[in-house]
Amino acid sequence: MTAVLSAPGFALLSRPHPLLLRLTLLVALAALPLMVAYGLDDRLFQGDNVWLKPLKFHLALTVYTGTLALFATLLPEGTFASRRWTIYIGVVAACIVAELLWIGGAAALGTASHFNQTGVWAAIYGLMGAAAVTLTSLSMVMGLVFWRHRVDPLMLAVALGLVLTFVLTVPVAGTMSSGPGHFVGTPVTGARFPLMGWSLEVGDLRLPHFLATHAMHVVPLAGLTGSRATVWATATGFTALVLWCFARALMGLPPF
Amino acid sequence: MSPDQLFQIANPLALLGWLALLAAPLAPRAAQWVAGAAVPLLLSLAYAGLVLAFWWDAPGGFGSLPEVQALFTHPHIALAGWLHYLAFDLFLGAWEVRTARAEGIPHWAVVPCLVLTFLFGPAGLLAFAILRFTLVRKILP
Repeated sequence: MTAVLSAPGFALLSRPHPLLLRLTLLVALAALPLMVAYGLDDRLFQGDNVWLKPLKFHLALTVYTGTLALFATLLPEGTFASRRWTIYIGVVAACIVAELLWIGGAAALGTASHFNQTGVWAAIYGLMGAAAVTLTSLSMVMGLVFWRHRVDPLMLAVALGLVLTFVLTVPVAGTMSSGPGHFVGTPVTGARFPLMGWSLEVGDLRLPHFLATHAMHVVPLAGLTGSRATVWATATGFTALVLWCFARALMGLPPF
Repeated sequence: MSPDQLFQIANPLALLGWLALLAAPLAPRAAQWVAGAAVPLLLSLAYAGLVLAFWWDAPGGFGSLPEVQALFTHPHIALAGWLHYLAFDLFLGAWEVRTARAEGIPHWAVVPCLVLTFLFGPAGLLAFAILRFTLVRKILP
């Protein structure tokens, strides 16, 4: 571990981004009452406890903003401290809170959040799509800042990971959200991937969405090798994996 | 967990907070941590979970007394209402102890207010307000 941490170019130059760190804490702590509700509520939505989806989103967004807050430590103090950055990150924070209120609110009422085409829910669904793209754009915009430091293999890896998260997630999630649901095909047996819940019998667009969004975690790991070739190979290979899973899902096929 | 089981856990938990307040002069900071933060927040967490999980199913509403009465016919919502009492009364008790300490009101004089707050919430608030006004001429927090 020590050897990895002392690899060339790996230095913490600043504290975690304060606004993103607070947002991470807020999203994580706000999951606590949802966990209690999960334990008390017997209602199911599409076969799962109604509170499973909000909890997944709290976890995912905690990881997302937490990762961005920590990546900021690799750049000099004050890189993201300007007024423009603060406003932008504030807008992203508002989008994240709005998404979670929407998803949690729909769960409380036992109705669908995504894909809900009834009345006012349909209008909110459209708005939340815009909010989702906005909150994901932060990875891209931060990625472009890291791109300026790409002489360092780790910075290159973080830049590619962050940019890929946006570039791959938006088309996959956009395709999924404009369809009737996350499945392509109709499950018969209900066989599912353990823990993650993706279908093992029909196409499930949540898998490529998951992989696409985690480019920001997978590609930076390759940067720890200190080899630019490994970073580029990982970025290319991971992109191919996402596109392959995306194509399989669109064809209505499970990934394996 | 059934509403009755939760009720059986919540009551001793709140009682623990009240005992901490009674013994507050021995360990003022610990008493505030228990009665002013830990126990009320734990009760609040359970309350929030109950409301998230069962509000959709609750009859009645806030618009009239019969509506409020109907609300409390739902066991989980009635339990939530009870936790509301427990959490807020205890939080208020902690505030009374804190305020009395800061303003030099002797603890033995606050104890009857704590008993009243524990049993009859707002009556305890009123008693403490009167005590405080007579001793230090203050009402506002």
